[in-house]
Amino acid sequence: MMKCPVCNKPVERSNPEYPFCSERCRMIDLGNWAMGRYAIPGEPLEPPDDEEE
Amino acid sequence: MSLNEVNAGAGDVYDSRSIKVLEGLEAVRLRPAMYIGSTGELGLHHLVYEVVDNSVDEALAGYCTEIDVTIRIDNSVTVVDNGRGIPVDMHAEEGVSAAQVVMTKLHAGGKFDANTYKVSGGLHGVGVSCVNALSERLELEIWRAGYTWQQEYAAGIPKAPLQRMGKAGKRTGTKITFRPDPTVMDATVFNFDTLAQRLREMAFLNKGLTIRLTDEREDPIKEHEFHYSGGIAEFVRHLNRGKQVLHEKPIHCEAQRELPNGGTLTMEVALQYNDGYSDNIFSFANNINTSDGGSHLTGFRSALTRTINAYGQQENLFKDFKDSLSGDDVREGLTAVVSVKLPQPQFEGQTKGKLNSDIGGYVTQFVNERLGEYFDKNPTVMRKIVTKAIEAARAREAARKARDLTRKKTALDSGLRGKLADCQEKDPRRCEIFLVEGESAGGTAKQGRDRRFQAILALKGKILNVEKARYDKMLGHEEIRTMISALGTGIGKDDFAIDKLRYNKIIIMTDADVDGSHIRTLLLTFFFRHMQELIHRGHIFIAQPPLYRIKKGKSEKYIKDEKDFTKEIMRRATENLSVEIGRNGEGPKDTLEGAALRAFLMSLDEFEQMVRKVERRLRVPAAVEALADVTLPLDSKADFMERANIEHLVDKLRELKVEATLVPDEAHAAWAAVFRDATHAERRVDLELSGMPEYRRLRGLARQIAQYNEPPFVVVKDTRRDSSDHWTALLAHIKEEGKKDASVQRYKGLGEMNAEQLADTTMNPEKRTLLRVRLEDAVESEEIFSTLMGDDVESRRRFIEENALEVKNLDV
Repeated sequence: MMKCPVCNKPVERSNPEYPFCSERCRMIDLGNWAMGRYAIPGEPLEPPDDEEE
Repeated sequence: MSLNEVNAGAGDVYDSRSIKVLEGLEAVRLRPAMYIGSTGELGLHHLVYEVVDNSVDEALAGYCTEIDVTIRIDNSVTVVDNGRGIPVDMHAEEGVSAAQVVMTKLHAGGKFDANTYKVSGGLHGVGVSCVNALSERLELEIWRAGYTWQQEYAAGIPKAPLQRMGKAGKRTGTKITFRPDPTVMDATVFNFDTLAQRLREMAFLNKGLTIRLTDEREDPIKEHEFHYSGGIAEFVRHLNRGKQVLHEKPIHCEAQRELPNGGTLTMEVALQYNDGYSDNIFSFANNINTSDGGSHLTGFRSALTRTINAYGQQENLFKDFKDSLSGDDVREGLTAVVSVKLPQPQFEGQTKGKLNSDIGGYVTQFVNERLGEYFDKNPTVMRKIVTKAIEAARAREAARKARDLTRKKTALDSGLRGKLADCQEKDPRRCEIFLVEGESAGGTAKQGRDRRFQAILALKGKILNVEKARYDKMLGHEEIRTMISALGTGIGKDDFAIDKLRYNKIIIMTDADVDGSHIRTLLLTFFFRHMQELIHRGHIFIAQPPLYRIKKGKSEKYIKDEKDFTKEIMRRATENLSVEIGRNGEGPKDTLEGAALRAFLMSLDEFEQMVRKVERRLRVPAAVEALADVTLPLDSKADFMERANIEHLVDKLRELKVEATLVPDEAHAAWAAVFRDATHAERRVDLELSGMPEYRRLRGLARQIAQYNEPPFVVVKDTRRDSSDHWTALLAHIKEEGKKDASVQRYKGLGEMNAEQLADTTMNPEKRTLLRVRLEDAVESEEIFSTLMGDDVESRRRFIEENALEVKNLDV
């Protein structure tokens, strides 16, 4: 079963807020998007050259 | 019949002063709502509370331990206590018994002005005389001074003076039975549950006091006893019943302070957090439920906010949390009871629901001190509470930002103009929008589109994470907002409107690399979570830009993935060459060409990939070579349970210079070959490995190629003959042949294509292939996203490793 992305409670497909458990969690998630809290980590950059003193 | 007439008939009992008293009670009967709030349910039950309050006062004073409340079959109510009993001696001023004064004179200063009596919620302080006035009959029985005393009233008027009856011995107390007068009360039927709730509350607030409620109207008789030695801590537990609590025991403290103008202030607080989001705080002053709060509640709240913030700072729990916690944050999930007892409380408001007495400072100081002490002794609970409050603050901030997002409904605001290259067509059914990451790809797409019906929205999906020295994939506030306003649907429960959608096809067009797949994952997850309707209705698509271009002379070919690329290279290579199988110089040689050669080569290519995958687990190439030996039985579980099989494997490994040993695999009642890799880490070939899909495929392919895998291989092309003594060399040689004379370009990103190429391969509806996203694909994206975002660093690392550079294909 799907888990609510915000609070991890199990959510039924029939829930009108699916995949969230509640309106509250939906809003929190939307806010997290809006605030840029969701970032997929990228590859580390090449370490900077040591030449620069 | 008026009261005055009755009074006149009663004769010599009353003097002029008592007439005034009667006028007071007559006023109560004329306008009952002014005294008890209403003549309905609320007022009716208040009559009982008023009588019980007198008994509780006796308990507060330390003289009463038990109160019995009984609802009789005729809806009269009897209240019995074991207090001192109402005084029975003669009242000097009134000339009647003190008991009669209590029963007939309005309390609360006796002044009949609007300010004092405009109390519709609680009639406390109005006195039992109101109950008397509103009852068709009231019987009073008092046990005091060794005797039983009795008096009866009708509509507040005594039928006779208080009379001394028989002996009472040591028994003391008061018993009042009254039946509300149906000619003045609209409601006359008591509700058991309503009374039970209030009486339970009284029992919580006065720990140790026993209150019994009996309903004789029921058969069998219904009875509840309320007695709580834990007081308001038990009250809090009761309020939290059935909820998940953050800490098992409620925090409970109590103190007394001498007030400057005399008298003692008793303060008691109990609190416990649950995992919910709302707060549930009850405040009481002298047992009166102050539903509008007041100074005691304000004092409690400010101390709670201050103390939790102070500990969060002091214990360094805020970390990346910059703000301070608000009152709302610290109260999320809080259940608390605040109870104060003080002489002559001042109330405010029509319902008397607010305490005005200036005691807030005392409560603040008391809670700061005691909660601090508790936190010092229970750091685990403190940490849980602070953490919950921080979560609440984060959630509140997020919800605020989300509301900003939903509120801005302007279809095409100025911010959009720069980023969206809209199409000319206005009928959404014919329009499509490409969501493209990055300026340069966006630019190419803009040139390559058919502007009549294709719109381009360039999104920025990369952000420099300075701290970690890397670029993360992210859709910022602006990107989300721009996308929502471009799509036109709005967002949020009430605002999302599918009929406002401006494009029939929403096409995600990203690079065919890991970064591209991350952007796609982000977008799909966002759509899945917040615009699921778009997926249900099949509006979301994924563009399929080519990965390779092969150009030879004037002909060019675009290829979408690695597998097709290999196929194409093999096809080209095998057009005009053949391969002789050497068989180590023994036996008849085979010559492979055409389709048979291609099949062999494709198997070799996949075999090479599987070898690499198994090598990733075993880290020793020679070990994988041993496992590719199809003469060794190493396939089923049973094979690994046969000691001889693994012994043969160990021999083979040693032959290939891998220092392997045979060990029992006790967990599976099987055998395993164990060796060490270059870093001296232990590696195992065992039953578990035999279940891995890459291992099985490796064995299967090894079998397929076995027939021809006999070097040397001689590649014959025209008059040239090139010999390879290992299949890997053969594969590399053929691939080179396939690329000969052709220019091969591998696209790392959309930006490397020119506008024409992008249009021809990916955008033009005549030539492109689109994948329609189904809900299952989006669910999968959600799972990928959760793994990538999750706190579980280990599973994220594993996920990335296992999916390294393999862009998950959302084929439909």
